[in-house]
Amino acid sequence: MVIYFLVAMACGGIILLWRRKMVTLVLRCAFLLNQLGVTAYAILHRGQEDSLYFNFDSIGIILATVLTILTIATFYHSYLYLNRHPTTVRNESIYYASLILLITAMTGAYFTNHMGVLWAWLEATTLSVSVLIYHDRTATSLEATWKYVFICSIGISIAFIGILFLSIVATKGGLTDLYLAGLMKAAKDMDTTWLKIAFVLLFTGFSAKLGIFPLHTVCVDAHTASPPPISAFISTSLMSVGFLGIFRMYSIIAQTDAHQWANKILMISGVISIAISAMQLLRVKHFKRMFAFSSLEQMGIVAIALSAGGIGYYAAILHIVLHSFAKASLFYQIGQVDNIYHSYWIKDVGGYMKINPLGAVVILLLFIMITAIPPSGLFVSELMVFKSLFAGHHYVISIVVLFLLSVIIFVLGRNFTQLLYSSEHELHGMETAIAYRTETISQFILIGLMIYLAFWPPAFFINLINSAVVMLT
Amino acid sequence: MIFFFIILFAISLIYLALTERVARFITLLIIQGILLAGIAYWHLKHIDVIHLSFILLETLVVKSIGIPVFLNYLRKRNRLNRLNESKVPTFVSILILSAGLVFGFLLSNYLQDTHIETIFFAVAISSVIAGLFFIISHRNVFTHLIGYLVIQNGIFLMSLSVGAEMPMLINNAILLDLFISVLVLGIFINKVGDTFQNLTVDGLSQLKH
Repeated sequence: MVIYFLVAMACGGIILLWRRKMVTLVLRCAFLLNQLGVTAYAILHRGQEDSLYFNFDSIGIILATVLTILTIATFYHSYLYLNRHPTTVRNESIYYASLILLITAMTGAYFTNHMGVLWAWLEATTLSVSVLIYHDRTATSLEATWKYVFICSIGISIAFIGILFLSIVATKGGLTDLYLAGLMKAAKDMDTTWLKIAFVLLFTGFSAKLGIFPLHTVCVDAHTASPPPISAFISTSLMSVGFLGIFRMYSIIAQTDAHQWANKILMISGVISIAISAMQLLRVKHFKRMFAFSSLEQMGIVAIALSAGGIGYYAAILHIVLHSFAKASLFYQIGQVDNIYHSYWIKDVGGYMKINPLGAVVILLLFIMITAIPPSGLFVSELMVFKSLFAGHHYVISIVVLFLLSVIIFVLGRNFTQLLYSSEHELHGMETAIAYRTETISQFILIGLMIYLAFWPPAFFINLINSAVVMLT
Repeated sequence: MIFFFIILFAISLIYLALTERVARFITLLIIQGILLAGIAYWHLKHIDVIHLSFILLETLVVKSIGIPVFLNYLRKRNRLNRLNESKVPTFVSILILSAGLVFGFLLSNYLQDTHIETIFFAVAISSVIAGLFFIISHRNVFTHLIGYLVIQNGIFLMSLSVGAEMPMLINNAILLDLFISVLVLGIFINKVGDTFQNLTVDGLSQLKH
């Protein structure tokens, strides 16, 4: 990991200081190799510790692999975005350096085995992504950046208080550090009052990253104002960092009598998130904002899956992985839509099926994927979630969630139909639009991966999720 | 001595509600920084000299010099003298901040534990509450920043209350100050001022439309 961090820092640093297009290109490739290398190394050294604060556990490997796959796609779509929205060499260098820092911080967060260090990496993700959100230098991007940095900082400060509370309870249990393995082992003897307070504070703080109620608003605004490749990251791998923080804390509290209490917190937050998402989607007028509220809904499902337990644990991890592929693809594709219509507003688009049939097929497929209609992989994970809810006799919650999901499917369907088939704006900007077929390759690959992992999951993948689930039981 | 510093710190929280002058807010932060350095010294003087010096230097340099100097620069650049944009009357603010202090003491007494310093903990909780209240009750991003720094001071104090067992966390808390404060302060306050011509949050609501 030390070599990985050094190479990543060197790549980011040189890009920032030596502002040449060719240098940036070479270093981006070097960083990609570095990212692929650390992921392969982690897979080969599964379960082993590395350096002082890192451990290649199953959940870390799963999320880091997803991150690496999305890194390749995001670098490609960033290249397209920056070509279409020309900026100064300085801003381009800042963009790539921040992107490298963000990916490095997320990788660090995935593999750390210490709660304090996890917090520090989370902090680093806030710093790096704020620069990326502000990339367009507009009033809205400034507003989103300010809100993101400020509220995330408050949220992460709250999470830090939670870690301080955890340290108190750890000290009482005879621990002198905050290593995850030690905390899980000592959890049974921990004072549940302190642990509950720590859980609430950590959950509240990390909810800013996971994009779930109560601090979900910052993520929504950040999605709306960022360049699409960055929105793709905020909506997927960055949310996974928040998920990991909550998952780590949940894996500690799951060993104690406060387990059921924590489940209630997750369930309440999950249901409220889906309800807010459904209500907001009914009045949403902007595609990226629509995707942001869709992410809120998906993270709500993940929280409910965790709280339901049993097969829900498996479903939560599967859902996070599959949602990452679907949502990233949506953001990549909406970047292409913007290239044609020069707008993300729903009222400004239409006739996409005629203008760019291949892109329209991608949109149509992604609508099916994101709404969990078969053969979407999310259908499998959501089926598991409802199975676990029914197994736990949560009938009312199941019905409420099903109703809310129906509303969300209706709204998404209505807006995607407007984009694909409405003839009102089909000629708007068409003359200048160029959509290369190669731009959709990454989306097709991600959709294929989503179906493959859900319906024909390889034994290695199942094994990884199962060993991550073991931490909770 | 240590209790004297903590009581002064608690009084400084109440004083936050009394003033509207930006320069006074900055002075309060300087005083809080010096008090925190004093508290850290008296509380941690048994740890090794290098570690202690590092903590004291960071606290004094960052909290009492670096950030206030920068805040002053922001104040002058954005021509901020008086911020009378609080949504809550001063008297009510004093009552709420006092209630926050009482709540802090009640909570720390309720959670009474041999592993935490009760009085540190009580004032730390109060500081976090005061900072949050300060943010909620004001409409100016500059005062939001002041509120954020008050929360950070509270967290620093809280980390001291468990610091005897977990010294690394103290460093983490200080790093939190260093990184985020500088970023939040440095880059975006001026951008908000330049873009929206003022520092109130009124301009920051376009995304909702």
